[in-house]
Amino acid sequence: MIILGIETSCDETSAAVVDDSAGAASARIRSNVVKSQIDEHRPFGGIVPEVAARAHLRHLDGLIGRAMAEAGADWTELDGVAATGGPGLIGGVIVGVMSGKAIAAVHGLPFLAVNHLEGHALTARLTDDLEFPYLLLLVSGGHCQLLAVEGVGAYRRLGTTIDDAIGEAFDKTAKMLGLGYPGGPRVEARARNGEPDRFRLPRPMKGRAGCHFSFSGLKTAVRHAIDGLGRAPTETDIDDLCAGFQTAAGEAIVDRTANAMETFRGLHPGANDLVAAGGVAANGALRTMLEALCGENGFQLTAPEPALCTDNGAMIAWAGLERLRAGRTDTLDFAPRPRWPLDPDAPAVAYAGVKA
Amino acid sequence: MTTILAFDTSAGACSAAVRSNGETLAGRYEERARGQAEILMPMVGEVVSAAGLAYADLDLIATTVGPGSFTGMRIGIAAARAMSLAARIPALGLTTLEVVAAGIDGTGTGPHTVLACVESKREDIYAQLFGADGEPMTEPMAATPAALAATTPVDGALILAGSASKPMAAALEAAGRDFRLADGPAEPQAAVAARMAEKRWTPGVSLAPLAPLYLRPPDTTGPKP
Repeated sequence: MIILGIETSCDETSAAVVDDSAGAASARIRSNVVKSQIDEHRPFGGIVPEVAARAHLRHLDGLIGRAMAEAGADWTELDGVAATGGPGLIGGVIVGVMSGKAIAAVHGLPFLAVNHLEGHALTARLTDDLEFPYLLLLVSGGHCQLLAVEGVGAYRRLGTTIDDAIGEAFDKTAKMLGLGYPGGPRVEARARNGEPDRFRLPRPMKGRAGCHFSFSGLKTAVRHAIDGLGRAPTETDIDDLCAGFQTAAGEAIVDRTANAMETFRGLHPGANDLVAAGGVAANGALRTMLEALCGENGFQLTAPEPALCTDNGAMIAWAGLERLRAGRTDTLDFAPRPRWPLDPDAPAVAYAGVKA
Repeated sequence: MTTILAFDTSAGACSAAVRSNGETLAGRYEERARGQAEILMPMVGEVVSAAGLAYADLDLIATTVGPGSFTGMRIGIAAARAMSLAARIPALGLTTLEVVAAGIDGTGTGPHTVLACVESKREDIYAQLFGADGEPMTEPMAATPAALAATTPVDGALILAGSASKPMAAALEAAGRDFRLADGPAEPQAAVAARMAEKRWTPGVSLAPLAPLYLRPPDTTGPKP
């Protein structure tokens, strides 16, 4: 099957063509065109929803045309059109959903409204043919969750953040240190030269039962450490704070994931796959820590290449393809969803907002 | 023979129409301020089938590009741009204000001016003046009704049309200006847009990508560039 996928839920506009008849997983992505809006949002130090919505509208049709051309695909060869239907910034989601519906209508194709998180969750099946079930650590600018992935559309949430998402904590740390936007990659780069033990930062939730996350206190601790310097941070201070922050965040994630492994094994004895997905899964230091954790616990880590961890159309096309195989298509009156939990049965978590 | 699909979601309604050879073959119009993302494509599918046509029979897409609801205009423009790409036909944009102005019946009024005004959910409204021939006399603008009343020409009959007629009428009354309210729907109508597009488009001529007419920069917080 050949599916066109559209992603517009945050600050990347993307379109891709994915084909499962290609056999080898590496040959499935026929095109994956991503246009980042970093330059549009940089002046504001973060993502501005209205700026994002305008940029998606400006670029999306051109990117779809490019994705089709790069794939060498004609509209008549498509088996379906998938678009992120939520969760995310609703202005952008609407642009993607309307574009997907319009193309599906013109060519009489099935339309697939894909949960953005399901796109991340199923990427390891696109790239590595991973079998269900597996444990998923989803870490991004908008989300921080641990889920048991049991099938297409079948998710069990084991843990989530009770305040900030991990990527948000990276971005806010970068902002406090004057590193600019987007913060994640910059914090990672500066941390490479830093001394992680110079500033003693908390490892939120570490040692507690369960799999929930919290990053708000860590962010505050970084603020206090900066204030405690009594002067503007030097380059070395910045390196050390980045290293301290990244290590603290990483240790908190590893601790929570270790608990989730135990719970997951209880649900699925014998299962031993951990998938790391989402933009923060592109962080090299975190990957190394997760590798070590998997080694200790007899798990195998699958982390898609960084370009497939950050938001992209290929993961949406693939999730659409899996949904189409399962006969789960959507009608053209689908309503874009700003909030859309993967596991609707998961109990609400105190203080957790949209990111849960 | 030119066959046109037109739709509007940019203000307080959702409408779609198919027009071919000077005749409206099918049309739907529903006043609603929300939910256009859900109902637009089913409504478009309905009018295309009601016209006895398929998407492959269309020669042109026409849609309103604002000013109006930012979300609403993006719904229509995103759909129009994607249909244009997928069906390999051009898409033509019309402003909500010109479609509102063209939607009124000015017959029997004699020489007159039309003040089209569209609600913005703020103190400012979107407005533009048109002559009896439909030609614009001002640029589309966002301004308070009082400011608009002060600059509206005083000679000749004035017809007020559109969703912001109520606050505009109050401002004109306060300024002692005579006017009459247009009959008919206050929202832009796809059938009118289709009629205008038919007049405006020359087959074979390519068109620039549809661009939204926001008339206002994005609301942002934090440091400016």
